Amino acid sequence: MSVSRREFLLACAGGLVVGASGYFLWKEARIRRWQERTFIGKAPDYGADLRTVILAGLRELGVTEKDLRGKRVLLKPNLVETMPGAVHINTHPLVVRGAVEAFLSLGAARVAVGEGPGHASDTLRILAESGLMEVLGEDRIPFFDLNRQSGYGVANAGRCSSLKSLTLPVCLKDFDFIVSLAKLKTHHWAGVTLSMKNLFGLMPGSFYGWPKNYLHWAGINPCILDITATVWPHFAIVDGIVGMEGDGPIMGEPKPVGVLVMGRNLPAVDATCTRIMGIDPHRVVSLSYAEGWLGPIRETGIRQVGESIALVRTPFRLIEEIPAQRALMPG
Amino acid sequence: MNTAAISQGVEQLRKRALSGGGFAMYPGGDFRADATAWAVMVFAALGVHAELIEPARQRLAAVQLEDGRVSISPEHPSPYWPTPLALLAWQGAPAHQEARRRAAAFLLATTGRQWGGKPQSVAGHDLDLQGWSWRSDTSAWAEPTALAMMALEAAGYGDHPRLAEARRLLLDRQLPDGGWNYGNTTVFGKVLNPMPESTGLVLNALSHQVPRDAVAKSIAYLEGRLPGLLTPWSLGWAILGLSAWGARPAGAPAATQACVARQERFPVYDTSSLALILLASRAAGGLASVFRS
Repeated sequence: MSVSRREFLLACAGGLVVGASGYFLWKEARIRRWQERTFIGKAPDYGADLRTVILAGLRELGVTEKDLRGKRVLLKPNLVETMPGAVHINTHPLVVRGAVEAFLSLGAARVAVGEGPGHASDTLRILAESGLMEVLGEDRIPFFDLNRQSGYGVANAGRCSSLKSLTLPVCLKDFDFIVSLAKLKTHHWAGVTLSMKNLFGLMPGSFYGWPKNYLHWAGINPCILDITATVWPHFAIVDGIVGMEGDGPIMGEPKPVGVLVMGRNLPAVDATCTRIMGIDPHRVVSLSYAEGWLGPIRETGIRQVGESIALVRTPFRLIEEIPAQRALMPG
Repeated sequence: MNTAAISQGVEQLRKRALSGGGFAMYPGGDFRADATAWAVMVFAALGVHAELIEPARQRLAAVQLEDGRVSISPEHPSPYWPTPLALLAWQGAPAHQEARRRAAAFLLATTGRQWGGKPQSVAGHDLDLQGWSWRSDTSAWAEPTALAMMALEAAGYGDHPRLAEARRLLLDRQLPDGGWNYGNTTVFGKVLNPMPESTGLVLNALSHQVPRDAVAKSIAYLEGRLPGLLTPWSLGWAILGLSAWGARPAGAPAATQACVARQERFPVYDTSSLALILLASRAAGGLASVFRS
């Protein structure tokens, strides 16, 4: 049987249409099916009993001693830069302490903290000046400078950027429960920085530089997705007791919100955070691409436990002159 | 004064020597080119543990790639920023003349990624000036540019046009009120914050290269910042940066000794940081003075 060129092209086009439709139907079905829970806990200030708030969240989210007994937990806070008196730049040391105590009380064999700040080549200075070193010293909690660690290559599971592989710090192999302990902030390149963007700090500066400019050239949003898909952290806690609005992640202004947001699924946690900030998560590029692939971001896909979003919603100021933030504005 | 702390620090470095030559970044770790180069610089400057220096230099030569670069590890050739450190570690070693020549040739042929004349409204500095980056295919930044300048200067390339342009880049990245950070001045109209470690490193690279007036605000910034610095990387670069401009703090010996002794309270110091604070305890004329002598 002979097939004309026209028939062949029509058959190919038909195949493409059927394939694409099938993919979108599959994705839509997956989005509709995927359900996650996020927890919003109120904490008016850093003097609150944060261990209790975090334990309440873990309980509501079904994280039990069975999940954590004997596990080696790595907490990855967001440490960027320090300024005297500023509590809105970095994950607050007392939130880190609350998380350490909560995970240890649920039977974790070991809890450590690791971070590779994106700007400063002296991680220990940031650790000391942020106040976190004092807290970790008192509690005898080990700290890993992820920027100075040697690295190991892994295949890029996301493949959103052109990077075929990612280099991760070797100490990551020593942990089996990774927690993104992020800060609730706007960001002048990514729009917002929450539990997914916080993972940039896992990437060793020795391999990616200060700043981790290689990831910027490869595309910030694709890299956010790539790192999340590759590392796939087990849990997220976002410090929104005092967040940052405006020209984040450093030069913005403090924004008291009085919440900790938690969950097992990072896109769901970040979607809840953006709703608290008064931002539609579908306008955040990395979240819109993550939907149905890395997690749900629709309200119907996320069951809120703890406080309701409506009760704590605190719209963050966005800057129109910053393109990544202008894209988040309604209309 | 606790000079025993310095001896203790040297001993800690010695224990990180590897049997096949070279040094690890942390106790029990594997070979790292950057850690090795820093350890060589310390032992050479302090005149101790000569028996560890040549095996370490040889290990650096063994991991040098065909094009002359020394990367963070042979499996990861792109992060080439340890190349200037290796060049400094080979300084004064005739046996490694060829390795030095190839490393210098690599640096002179390598630039950060250019902006290509695109609109630069977001950043307040010239993104087309050529310097050096941390790894291939990324922009030039302050710290790798300063390291490359120091290494090439020490290797006898001080008059090369690349160094002249790098000087312009560093001055262009200086913050309006003094100091440097990783290499951004203003972004979206906001002036960013200086950092002591970046400032100290760049001041080392610019000493004897630009008039004092050109960096006076940065020297003043660092003098003001110094008293609060506790950690070896920042304190080390700050002392070396001020020393390079004849402003070595009177308390430098005590501060460096206290910093080494402070390890009990901090997470274990990495080899590069420990080496830097040990160098700062001795290099009264800044880091470059070690290589001039």
